[in-house]
Amino acid sequence: MTSVLPSLETVVVISAFALIYMLVLLRKTLQGKFDLYDFMMLSMVAIIPASFALFPKLAYLVSHLTGVVFPFVVMFGALFLVVFAFMHNMTARLHRLERQNCALIQEQSLMALELKAKENGPGGTKPI
Amino acid sequence: MADMSLDSGLGSTVTCRSAARPAGAPRVLLVIPCFNEEASIGGLLSEIAATGRGYHTLVVDDGSSDATCAVASRSSQVARLAQNLGIGGAVQTGIKYAARQGFDFCVQIDGDGQHDPRAIETLLDAYRRNPANITIGSRFIDHAGFCSTPMRRAGIRLIVLALNGLFSGGRITDPTSGMRLLDRSAIAFFAKAYPADYPEPISLAWAMRAGLTVSEVPVEMRPRETGVSSIDGLKSASYMVRVLGYILLARLVRAPRRRDIQ
Repeated sequence: MTSVLPSLETVVVISAFALIYMLVLLRKTLQGKFDLYDFMMLSMVAIIPASFALFPKLAYLVSHLTGVVFPFVVMFGALFLVVFAFMHNMTARLHRLERQNCALIQEQSLMALELKAKENGPGGTKPI
Repeated sequence: MADMSLDSGLGSTVTCRSAARPAGAPRVLLVIPCFNEEASIGGLLSEIAATGRGYHTLVVDDGSSDATCAVASRSSQVARLAQNLGIGGAVQTGIKYAARQGFDFCVQIDGDGQHDPRAIETLLDAYRRNPANITIGSRFIDHAGFCSTPMRRAGIRLIVLALNGLFSGGRITDPTSGMRLLDRSAIAFFAKAYPADYPEPISLAWAMRAGLTVSEVPVEMRPRETGVSSIDGLKSASYMVRVLGYILLARLVRAPRRRDIQ
C-alpha cells in the first residue's frame, strides 16, 4: 500500500493542539489538580496523535508490524488502550475511596457516640 | 481501614449491663437504621420500650434531613452519619458498635414501623432452640401479615432459588427481610465486611459462603406506615440483576477462613 504522508497543515494543527493541551495539563499538575500519573496518562491524548503526525514513517512501520492496514487504526487502538487503562485504575481508586469514605463516616459517628457517653458519665445511657 | 477500638470508650456499657436485664442474660442491641423517619421512629421506640425487655437500642440516622435524630434521641442512643451511606453503611455502623461493645446479639429492625418489636423475643427464642449465626424473621413461612406485592414476591423467589441452590447453611424463604438477629460470630463477620447496596440478600450469600449458618422463624410484618420504598419501577429490574450477580460472585470467590471471621 502507498504511504500517504500528512500535510504540513495537519502536522501544524496537531502539534499546536498537543502543545497547548500539554501546557494546560502541566499547569493543572503544578496547581496540584492532577498528580504525575494523571498527567502522563492524559497527555497521551496529545502525544500519540502528535507522534503519528510528526513521524509518519514510524507510524507506517508500526501498522505494518501489527498487521493493520491503516496507521490511524493503530493510533486509535493505542489511544483506547491508554484510556481504558486509565479508566480501570480510576474505577479501582474511586471504589477504594468510596469504601474509605464510608468507613470514616462510620468512625466519626461512633466516636461522637463515645464522646457523648464520656460526657454523660457512667449513668449516661440506659436500655429502654 | 483498621478498626479503631472503642471498647474502653463507652463507660456507660457497665451501666447498661446491669440496668434492666437480669445478670447473665444476653445483652441485645437493636440496630434501627433510619432515613427521614421522623413520623415513625418515635412510635417504634415507644413500642420497644413497651415490651419491657430492656433492649439496648441504637438508632443510626443515615443523614436524614428531617427531625429523625431529634425525635430518636429523646429515648435512644443515636449514631448520626454525616452523610447518607445507604442502608448497608447504616446497618454496618450499628454492627460495628455491637462488636466493639461486646453485645451478645444484634437485632436489625427497620425504622419505618414494618417490624413489630414483640417479634424480637421470637427471634431470641428461636436462637435458644436452634442456635444459628443469623436468624431471620420471615414473612413467608406462615404467610401472615403483609407479604409484599406479587411482583416482589416473584423476585424474592428468584433470590431464594439462587441462595438455596448455590449455598448450604440453611433454607431461606425471606432473604430480603430486614428483621434479623446476629450472634457474636455474625456480628464479628459483618463488622469487617458488609454490602453497601441491597445488603440483606447479599449479606446472606457472603455469610453462608463463609460458613455461617442461617435459620428462620415466622414473624408477621406490617405494611409500611410512612415513606416509600426505594426499589420501584425500573429499579426493581436493576435490583434483581445486581443481587443475583453478587450472589453468583459470592459463590465464585474463595471462602474466607474461619479464623479470619472471628
